[in-house]
Amino acid sequence: MDTHSYFPVTPGVGMEENFLSLDDILLSQERLPVRTECVFPRLGFLEKSSDSQDIAEGTKMEFPLWLSKGLYEKKRKVLSVELPKVYKEGWRTVFTADPNVVDLHKMGPYYYGLGSQMLHFDNPENPDIAKTLLQTFIGRFRRTMDSSQNAYNEDTSVLVGRLDCLEKVLFRSGQNGLNGFQSWEKGQASQLTASGLVLNYRKRKLVDVQP
Amino acid sequence: MSDALSEDGSDINQDDSQEEVMTPAELIAKLEEAWLNEKFSPELLENRSEVVECVMEQLTHMEANLQRVKKGDAKAGFHRMEIDRIRFVLSSYLRSRLQKIEKFFPHVLEREKSRGEGQPSLLSPEEFAFAKEYYANTETYLRAVALKRMPPNLQAVDMLKAVPEPCLDSFVFLRVKEQQENILIEPETDEQRDFVVDLEEGSQHLMRYRTIAPLVSSGAVQLI
Amino acid sequence: MDPSEVEFLAEKEFVKIIPNFSLDKIYLIGGDLGPFNPGLPVDVPVWLALNLKQRQKCRILPPEWMDVEKLEAMRELERREEAFAPAPSPYYMELTKLLLNHASDNIPKADEIRTLVKDIWDTRIAKLRLSADSFIRQQEAHAQLDNLTLMEINTIRQFLLDSLNCMYKLRSNRQPASAKSRLADY
Repeated sequence: MDTHSYFPVTPGVGMEENFLSLDDILLSQERLPVRTECVFPRLGFLEKSSDSQDIAEGTKMEFPLWLSKGLYEKKRKVLSVELPKVYKEGWRTVFTADPNVVDLHKMGPYYYGLGSQMLHFDNPENPDIAKTLLQTFIGRFRRTMDSSQNAYNEDTSVLVGRLDCLEKVLFRSGQNGLNGFQSWEKGQASQLTASGLVLNYRKRKLVDVQP
Repeated sequence: MSDALSEDGSDINQDDSQEEVMTPAELIAKLEEAWLNEKFSPELLENRSEVVECVMEQLTHMEANLQRVKKGDAKAGFHRMEIDRIRFVLSSYLRSRLQKIEKFFPHVLEREKSRGEGQPSLLSPEEFAFAKEYYANTETYLRAVALKRMPPNLQAVDMLKAVPEPCLDSFVFLRVKEQQENILIEPETDEQRDFVVDLEEGSQHLMRYRTIAPLVSSGAVQLI
Repeated sequence: MDPSEVEFLAEKEFVKIIPNFSLDKIYLIGGDLGPFNPGLPVDVPVWLALNLKQRQKCRILPPEWMDVEKLEAMRELERREEAFAPAPSPYYMELTKLLLNHASDNIPKADEIRTLVKDIWDTRIAKLRLSADSFIRQQEAHAQLDNLTLMEINTIRQFLLDSLNCMYKLRSNRQPASAKSRLADY
């Protein structure tokens, strides 16, 4: 039975972020290549490679996503955000050819999340990025599903290691469905087990006792 | 065997027959419908306190009768098992509502606030109290662990924005109880066009909750 | 939903038992049962049948479909047809498990039945995965699933619904404006 003591907030996935989702908070730390389009006075300390007091116009540096989004304005050019290469045309062609060969964990691990967030920044390629994100998800769905259901009867750890964070969450919910069914089938569902909270409590006590 | 058990349902039924005549069996079926609908709908459904109260009444009445039966009575065992099963459904139903209130509390309260005069409430009085308290506790907690240490202009959190709302575009599985014609299905992509389906009685479907939400409230479809 | 809750629903199905005791009609909240007479078959819900069986108060008669020949025919049909064939019973998996685990001595050829039901289940689950994939791939908006049972739906429910939700959000990336106006009308 469902024994969550609280509900973790799920990531927003699309362009909207969920404020209380841990995944979305981690995603907002992802670094983006940016170019300053005006002088940033007295912020030179953020730019380690130069000694000047200001950040000069035209400096190339990396900002976390949250900062880039905060500073970016469509009308007034404060900074321009460059596409990380996994969303550029070259990689998009790879994804279109066979989305299953790509290691999205290495390329991400927030491939879908960050890709959707990139749509906040004006870019003529945005429609193509959005399309590739969707098609990649659809193209990889079967593999994610089959492996979560152990359909191949093989070690799935390699495959799981190549999933993006979002896919991993889905993989887990697929496995839960399977595990739930299997333990019901074996009759394990009718055995009562101690709740995780109680078990942790015991462990902690044991630690306390040890000198 | 006592007669107390034999006349269980019928007399209660007469007490409650002013509005709608429902046999105890129908009442239990209603509870189970509400239970499954609540489990599977992405949003909190309207409360069914009238069903909950009637079921509680049935259980109390039955339990009172069982008190009077002597130990080892074969029938009493059957009745106890049935009571346990009904209690399970009842508490699972109430619990799944509480879980949804915890998940969507600001939106649930907002909807309650904007409810027009005479419109039925989504929440039972107890659930309303629970939601308000949950809201207050969450706020107090966030303030204590983080917000009070923030600069003064950053100490407010808009709960309505911070807590995700129920996604009515979620898909649901359903079984049709009353035939429906011409249900409009919106296209998923630009290349597709909208189309209509007829929902035959007894058929099962996978579609968006938004499309059939009114049919869930009216009881024409059952979520599964 | 937990599989044990699906099993709970299956326990409401009726089976025939042959009691070895006598008892008058009982008036349960959910309906009347009995009277019970030794040697005379009577319909009771599975939860009660199993309880009586465990206390050696009855013999359970297997449901009609729980028969090697019938199940073999269903297995062939299921393998031949591309679509889902009608299930032996809306709760065939649960009832097989419950009755075979608790009353296998009342069910002829119990082991063969167990294997056949498992075969039918496996074939149907493979079809279910295939149709889930095509539903996602075609980005369909509606599917009719008349012959699927609750336990079958349940094994894939969370995964499929979560995936459809993700897909919906990734798709609304393409029309950000319309996605927002939709959110607003909640």
